Formats: sequence, C-alpha cells, structure tokens
Amino acid sequence: MSQTTDSHADVPAPMAPHKDMKWIGKSVKRVEDPKLLRGLGRYIDDVVLPGMLHAAVLRSPHAHARIVSVDAERARRAPGVVAVLTGPEAAEQFGPLPDSGPAPDKHVWRVLAADKVHYVGEGVAVVVAENRYQAEDARTLIDVTYDVLEPVVDPIAAAEDTGNLVHEALGTNVAYERTFTFGDVAHDFADADLVVRDRLRWGRQTAHPLDTTAAIGDYDAGTGEMVVHTNSISMTWLAFGAAVALGIPSNKLDLRPYISGGSFGSKQFCWRSTVTAAMMSKITGRPVKYVEDRLDHQLNGDQHGSDRYYDVELALMRDGTFRSLKIDCVDDYGAYIQFGVGSHGNALAQVTGPYRITSTEYRVRAVLTNKTQQGAYRGFGADAGNWALERIVDKAAAELGLDPADIRRRNLIPPDAFPYHIPSGNMYDSGNYEPVLDHALQRFDYDGWRRKQEAMRAEGRKIGIGVVTANERSVYGATEFWFWFDDKDVPVKTTSTPEGVSMTVDTVGAVTVTLYSTPFWGNSSDTVAAMLAAEEFDVDPADVSVVHHGTKGGLPAAGPGGSRLTVMLAGAITGASKKIKDKLRRIAAHDMEVDEADLEWVDGGYQVRGAEDSRRSIGDLAMLAYLVKTALPDGEESGLAADFVYDHPHLTMPKPDRSDLGSFYPCVGHACHLVAVEVDEETGSVDILDYVAVHDSGTLVNPRSYDGQIVGGTAQGVGTALAEEMTYDAAGNPLVGTFWDYLIPTALDVPEVNFGHEETPSPITAHGIKGGGEAGRLMAPGALSAAIDDALRDHGVRVTELPATPERIVGWIQGHRG
Amino acid sequence: MKPPPFSYHRGRTVEHAAELLRELGPSARLLAGGQSLLPMLNLRLAEPAHLVDLGSAPGLDVIRRDGDMLVVGATARQAAVEHSSDVRALVPLLAEAVEHVAHPPIRHRGTVVGSIAHASAVAELPCAAVALNAQLTLLSADGVRTVGAEEFFTGAFTTSARADEIVAQVAFPVTGPGTGQAWSEFSLRRGNFPVAGAGASVTVADGEIVDVAIAICGVSDRPVRARAAEAALLGTRPGPEVVAAAAAASIADLAPRVDGDLAAHILPVVAAPVPAWGYRASVAKSQVRRAVTTALTRAGGVR
Ligand SMILES: Cc1cc2nc3c(=O)[nH]c(=O)nc-3n(C[C@H](O)[C@H](O)[C@H](O)COP(=O)(O)OP(=O)(O)OC[C@H]3O[C@@H](n4cnc5c(N)ncnc54)[C@H](O)[C@@H]3O)c2cc1C
Repeated sequence: MSQTTDSHADVPAPMAPHKDMKWIGKSVKRVEDPKLLRGLGRYIDDVVLPGMLHAAVLRSPHAHARIVSVDAERARRAPGVVAVLTGPEAAEQFGPLPDSGPAPDKHVWRVLAADKVHYVGEGVAVVVAENRYQAEDARTLIDVTYDVLEPVVDPIAAAEDTGNLVHEALGTNVAYERTFTFGDVAHDFADADLVVRDRLRWGRQTAHPLDTTAAIGDYDAGTGEMVVHTNSISMTWLAFGAAVALGIPSNKLDLRPYISGGSFGSKQFCWRSTVTAAMMSKITGRPVKYVEDRLDHQLNGDQHGSDRYYDVELALMRDGTFRSLKIDCVDDYGAYIQFGVGSHGNALAQVTGPYRITSTEYRVRAVLTNKTQQGAYRGFGADAGNWALERIVDKAAAELGLDPADIRRRNLIPPDAFPYHIPSGNMYDSGNYEPVLDHALQRFDYDGWRRKQEAMRAEGRKIGIGVVTANERSVYGATEFWFWFDDKDVPVKTTSTPEGVSMTVDTVGAVTVTLYSTPFWGNSSDTVAAMLAAEEFDVDPADVSVVHHGTKGGLPAAGPGGSRLTVMLAGAITGASKKIKDKLRRIAAHDMEVDEADLEWVDGGYQVRGAEDSRRSIGDLAMLAYLVKTALPDGEESGLAADFVYDHPHLTMPKPDRSDLGSFYPCVGHACHLVAVEVDEETGSVDILDYVAVHDSGTLVNPRSYDGQIVGGTAQGVGTALAEEMTYDAAGNPLVGTFWDYLIPTALDVPEVNFGHEETPSPITAHGIKGGGEAGRLMAPGALSAAIDDALRDHGVRVTELPATPERIVGWIQGHRG
Repeated sequence: MKPPPFSYHRGRTVEHAAELLRELGPSARLLAGGQSLLPMLNLRLAEPAHLVDLGSAPGLDVIRRDGDMLVVGATARQAAVEHSSDVRALVPLLAEAVEHVAHPPIRHRGTVVGSIAHASAVAELPCAAVALNAQLTLLSADGVRTVGAEEFFTGAFTTSARADEIVAQVAFPVTGPGTGQAWSEFSLRRGNFPVAGAGASVTVADGEIVDVAIAICGVSDRPVRARAAEAALLGTRPGPEVVAAAAAASIADLAPRVDGDLAAHILPVVAAPVPAWGYRASVAKSQVRRAVTTALTRAGGVR
C-alpha cells in the first residue's frame, strides 16, 4: 500500500548503478590536500592587506536591556584607535541585515543593537584600531548605560506571555505558528490499535568550526567598489542583501570566497562579519579585518542549532505496522529568526523517515527568547526530527515486545514504491532500504552481538545495542522558504536554487572549472569539481584547475548547504562539459570531413566509430579552436568556454491549502547505524564498543571523502548524543563560552566507524548522485540513545533528553530506582 | 581574546624573580608554563600589570632524589615528570596522576609546581600532593620556609603562600616496600579536569593495612584528605566490602555545596555548567573505591 502517484511522470525509473566510469566511484586523494597539508592553504586570517586595521566588537553583558546611552569618547582617544561605531550610530548609517524570518520589519535585525539588546553577546559597538590588542583594550573604555529588563528565557512560558516581549513590535514572542495536516490523521488514529506517546527534548548545540567566521572589508572610495574577502558563504544571487545593508550598489560589491577550516552549516551567510568589516572599511577608508574569536563565535556566531521540545504520537497496529504520526514542536529560536522556520522544512522533508506512514500532523511554534539566534548546523532540523522519530519507533518496539530491527524492517518503504511521496508531499526519488539494513546487521554481526551482550550482562556489565534506520534528504528547493505562508502572504514565489559553473578548455586541452559561491569548507568542493570534469574529458583530476569566483559578475550559485553541492555541481559540470564537447565534435567532424553522427568520444578525443586510427584528441581540437579559425565550421566562435547554470532537478509547487507542500527535497538517501555501548552506572559514562554505519547516497563519487563525511558527522552525532550543550541559566546568561566547557568529542572519544556502502542511484540527477554531507549526524544520536536505553533496561531508563550527559544518566538511574 | 597590556620581566634566578616580585608589588604575577595563566589573561579573568617569567632561571627544572624525598623543581615540566623513570619508581601516584593532566602538548609546557601553586580544586596534582603529604618550599626576598601540602591549600585558587612567595620546589616522600599507590578519576572528556578524582597510597604488612592516605578532588573548594575512609581501612585485612564501606565514608562528612558553587574552582569564570555536588560526590566515592582497590592490588594486599 504505497503512496506512489503518477502525477510526476517526469521522474524516470531508477537506474542501475553504473560501474563503467573512470573517476566517479573511485577513491581519489583530495586535490585540496597538498596545499592544506603544507600550510599553504591561505585561510582568511593569513591574509594581510596594506594598511589593514583590526576590529573588535563590544558585546552586551545582558540578555535583555534597553540601551540608554553609549559613550565612546574615551575609546576614541585610546592608543591606536582609528574609529568607533556605536549601535545607534550604525542604525543611522546602515540598513538592517537580510532576514528571511516571518516578519522582518517587526523583529528588525541589525549588525549592532540600536535601542535594545536581545541576548548576551549581541554587538553594541565596534572598535577599529591598528591591531586587535588595541581594539580590545579600547573596547573596555566604552561606557554603555543599560536599563535592564526582565529576560525572556523559557520558550514554553514565553509562548504564552504577551507582557514581556523580545520584540515589542511583534506583539508576541511566537514568531510563527501553524498546524499542518497531511492526510486523514483523525481517521488513522481512530483506526489504530494503539498510540505511543513521547515527550522529548533536543538541547541546543552548536556547530564549531576550528576556523571562526571572518571577513576583510576593502573599500575603494574612488570607485565606490567594496571587496569583502570572507570565509563565509557569499551566494551570488543573494549578495545584494549585504549591498543593501551597506548602502552600496549591488554591482559594486564583490564577496570573495576563501577556504575555511570547517563550517558544518554555520557559515551559510554570516552577514554580521561581512557587514562589520565592510562598514568599518567604508568609514575608515582602509581595509578592516574582523575575525571572530571563540567567544565572539559562540555567543554571536550563526552556528546555534535547533533547540526543541517535542510531543510525539505514533499510531500503529498490534503487528507493528505504523499508521500515522503527530508531532507538536516548540522551537526556541533565540532573539531573531534569520532563516525563518527553514529547519522545520528540513524535518518535514523526511518527517516519516524511511517508513510507510499514511498521514501526519505537524504543529510548529517558533518562539523568540533572549538567547543567541539559531543558524544552521549540519542537519538543520532534520537531525532533531530523525531523532524524535527513531525515539518513538523504539518506544513502540518496546511496548509491543518487538526487536528494534524487526519493527523497522516491517515498516520500510518497499523498493517498488519509488518514487514515493510522503504525507507532507515531498518525493523520495529512489530507495532500496532493506539491503542497507541487512548489510548493516551482517557487518555488525547483530545476532552475535546479541549473544555476546547477554553473556556480558550476566557478568553485571551494562551493555546495550542500538539500531536506527533513517533518511538523509538532500538538495533543498527554494519553496521551503515560503510554503509556510498562505499564497496571499507570499510576495515572491522563488522556485530556484541554481548552481552555475564556467568551464574552459585551453589551447593545449587543459581544463579549468570556475565555481561561484563555493568555498572550500572541508567538503572537498575542488575534488568533486575536478573529478566530475575529469570524468567528462578523460584527464586526471589533479590536472584540472579549479577557480573560485567572487559574487560580482558571478553566475547564480548557492554553494554548499542541505547536502546539495555535489549533486548541483554534477549537473552544472555535466551541462557545461556537454556544450564544450558538442563544439569539439563539430570541429572534429569539420576537420576530419566526416558526419558528426559518426564520431564517438573515446579516451579524451573524438574518433570515427569503429576506426580507432582516425581520431582527434582534445589537444588537437583545442589547438584548432584557439589558433586556427580557418579550420572551424562556418559561424563557430574561436575558443572553448561554456557557462552552465543547473537548476533544481525536481521541484513541484505546494497546494494552495498546504495539505501538500510539493516536492522540495527529493534526493533522499538512507542509512542504518548500529552501535554497542557499555554504561558505567556509577559515573554515567558511555563507552562505545562497536559502531557500524551503512549508507546509501546514490552513486558514490569519491568513497574516500564520503567516508570522511560519515566519520565527521558521526563524531558530531556522538557529541550531540552525549556531551555537547549550549546552556543558559535562568537569567539568560550563557554558561558556555569556550571549548573548556563546550565539550566537543576529541579523537579519543570518537569510535572507529566500520563503514559499508550500498548504491541506489537517483533517477533525477547527473550520474545518479545524491547528497551525503550530513551523513552520520542524522543517525548517531538515535542509535546511541537506543543503546543507552538497552544498556539500562533493568532500571527502566529511556533517553528522552539530549545530550545524555553522564550526570543526567546517573540521575535517570537514581530517579527510576527511587 | 587578547590579554590586557602587561610588562614582561625575566627572572634570571629564582632569587632574582623573588626580588622582582617584591619590587613590583601585588600587581605582579609569576609566569611558569603559562597553561593556566595565559588563558586567564586572554579571557581577561586576570589583569596583572607585570609578569615575572621563571622559565629561564637555571637549575629549577630538577627532578631528583634527595634522601627519602623526590624533589621536583619549579620549572620541571609535567611531561618530564611523566616520563621520568625515577618518578614512576619512587612516587608512582604522582606519575599516574600527571598522565591524566590535559593532553601531551599542554603537559610539555605546563609545570607540576605551577599546577600545585595554581590550586584548582579539581586538578590532579594538588590532590596528589595532599595524598602524598608533599612538602612545599616557599622562597621570597625574606628567605625560605616549608609548608605541608594540606596547609598550603586554603581555598579555590588560594594558598597560604604570599603574593611575593615562589614555590621553589615540591618534595614528595618516596614509597617503600609494601606500599601501593593509585590515581583514579572520571572526566567528562578525556584530558579534561576531572569531575572528581582520588589518589590513594596504601601500605600493607602481613595482609593488614598499616598505613593509608587518601585525598579527593572535585567535592570541595580544595583537595581534601578522606580521613574517615582512611580510618575505615587502617588496621583491617582489606576485602571488597571494607573498601566499599571506606569509599562511602569518604564523602559522608563532606559539606554539600550548592549548585554552581564549584563552578569557579575549575577556571575562575563567572559561570560554567558544572555537575552538581550530589553527582560529584557519588563519582568521588566510586573513584575512591577504584583507587584504593588498585593501590591494594599494587601493594600485594588483595589477591
Ligand atoms: C586545554 C587545557 C587543559 C588542561 N587540563 C588540565 C587537567 O586536566 N588537569 C589539570 O590539573 N590541569 C589542566 N590544565 C592546566 C595545566 O595543568 C597548567 O599547566 C597548570 O594548571 C599550571 O601550570 P603552569 O606551569 O602552566 O602555570 P602558569 O599557568 O604559568 O601559572 C598558573 C598560576 O600559578 C602561579 N605559579 C606558577 N608557578 C608558580 C610557582 N612556582 N610559585 C608560585 N606561583 C606559581 C602563577 O602565577 C599563576 O597564577 C589544562 C590546561 C589547558 C590549557
């Protein structure tokens, strides 16, 4: 009983994995690494421009206070200081930051607070000095008078409170609220044999790249050109937002991408760093560098993740068949809501996971509080969504006395049901889930581990095993930024998140790929581009030159995010390559005086079908294209260059009543994680004994770097499950500022991951690739939670709150005892 | 995260450093390995006007036996102590405790004496010093005096040393036959300061405990001797029940501390999400049991 519809006749049948490719699917060493390993990467903080100044930001010590006055006179006279800009001054000279929240005019977001501070760490003034030391010294000389207000801290209370508001103009602390009903939920619940309920808490965590966000603004007062060197993303098609904030024409702004030591989503826009450096350069007429230090980043970066309170209900039959799902979620967004409720779009894209569930109700309340606002952290809300779903599935298994692997198997969407539409409307392009589960169980030796577990438990050891089967949606579509609202309230219905590339083949046949908005963030963008180009032209990836273009004059591009990049680059590079290869074919046919149709591309050149000795290599043809106009067909331009802008592969429109959100995140991968843990009842520590991860993200491009994504994501998932938490006290003071207390697992705390791969190609993307950038973090929290439950089953412990810190675990054991 | 302005002074000898401290007054601070002091400066939790660097004073990095004592000089690095075969043979508790301090790069800069002088209530080395009844030599422009480790620690980050006194060396009694020592701790992440930890030194003769010293960290504003636990063990023929009872006794007479009170004992920050006292105490109890059990095994007392 699948939900396949034929309304998307444009979706071809899944293809078989193709094994005949030269580079795609081979483990290739990253082309970025030689420079990075030799310290030649040139990170943003390595960049020194002549006459460059340094900025430091004064931050609010209060969660909620009115700014009575800011007196910067002492700071202005301090040694080395060139300029100080206070929040009220900045509000007069510069516009608000680009904000895709529900009502940006009612929760105005500025680079510096203008009249009120909304969280500890919000910027109040910027000091620019000859060096960072002087800037930080002078910062302490700025006198700010605050009228301290009662902080809004607890989102549940804040949702009801209309007296104490984070933003008065909004009239409420609830920035967004809606209940979506997909399918006949009431009927399915009434029909079900039982309903399992859970109340869950997903704590606030933060992405923590080693390299914080940074920018150097370089304004040329003569031309009015503003160049910003930055390690945050700079989407070509949205850069105009920064231009508006800076008050300069959009075609005078050039955001130039730099490599960065990590993003994990946190560098999506980072308007604040860009605008801070740029506005101070505009004011001083000199280049200004602003590099967040760890405190800047933790308190005022864009890397805080979801902070959710869930009520979940699963309706199912006694044999374990799932019917319907209800989710009610309060999300504590902090003081602003820059990405709207996009992170719930991510959850809705795979709300029912890999399971057949016929209807779903989803209620979301986005609450504003006096905390740092959320940004994007690897998984962007689907991380929490997957965890909540897997938790309720485990609870159902426990209540029915079913093995957790069995209840999952029973509900997996069968392979012949794809393309499959889940209740929210999103389409899963392809999938074959059971082989992934079987592969993982076998790799883990599930039955063997279960026997071992019983033997070890008999010795008094608390051993537990956890299993999750979960999806990873990839390649987001633009509709998820507006389908929240009714049609009448949506001024512009964006339907594209395009990615463009430019390619050239030079006179001797060497290939260059130019990327836009696509910095290196550890996600191997250059290697991906080089491999894809190498596949098309039969060259070595190491010989492909990859160039990163700034936003100015750039093709539309949105860069990394939502696991889209490899798929989108594959589409764009395939498209641009085809243009060039078509031209090469025309030139070859003309030169060899044969019919184009008789030519085939073999090993880096065109040859007459069946006649290997009559061929022209790419080098021969490039020479003609550049140097011998007379050898070209009539009307053919000299040179070999092509642009290609690849649009989203499959985006359908939401229904007007939002009973169906359309297909917006269709390239859907799958994974099964299995883990065995031992819990120390006295200390509450969790030791990971064995870890297996089997993933299917369609056609594998570079297994080596894909495994890196899984390890990194799993490491972050371990932190999410066991240790990482951004805590606030009752007054809204952040209790965590540095790595001293924000406990990211180190190499010593992360298990050796035993990988397996399955490949079910996507029918809608070039080469059948799906995204895999959030792999690991979407699965590990559920798997570890389940394993802890299992280890502590004698105590009746269930993990309903993350992170499951040692102290919490001991508390749960004692609570259940007492 | 840049330090406030300060002036830098190099102590040519330990005596010269003591003179500088005297001259510069209370706004001067001694700099050893910098692994606690520099983060504090970068976070502006400390704003000394002067730093007096002890690093290049000659002869201070000694690790040597002096009669019944093993002497560790003020600039001996934690890594040097960790890798010293003398320390491992003569004061095994110190060797084991220092392995738990931070990570190798930090131990290559940080000093054993600096950690003791810093007097964090959750640090390994102050606790080991209390368990071992170490003797500290305090040197100032006025001369030299010696204090025992227990009198040295007076509270979180506070000691009985005056601001112008330098801990020139710390001497640890060497172990004899029949003595087993062990360090046990639990930290939230490998290399972190412990939630709680315990050091034990037990001497067994003819199957009976004839001498025992236990200290715990993480449950008070300073490392504390667990005298009730020691009393429960002394004179007994130890078995698991005795050890468990002693472990329970180790925390029984400690005064509970309100939430957050211990926060400041890790790093002198305003607030940190630290485990509550009840949890710390139960962890301490388990670490006492583990340390004593291991020490007894090493002493040949439990088979
Ligand atoms: C990431 C990280 C993790 C760490 N983890 C741990 C851990 O797990 N356990 C642990 O115990 N420590 C840990 N530390 C702290 C480390 O052990 C420090 O090295 C130690 O606490 C201080 O020694 P130091 O030589 O670096 O002293 P400094 O930082 O130079 O000085 C610390 C303080 O002691 C004073 N001082 C130093 N020497 C003397 C002296 N001879 N006489 C009088 N006063 C003196 C200084 O004036 C200063 O106030 C960690 C540090 C870091 C950076």
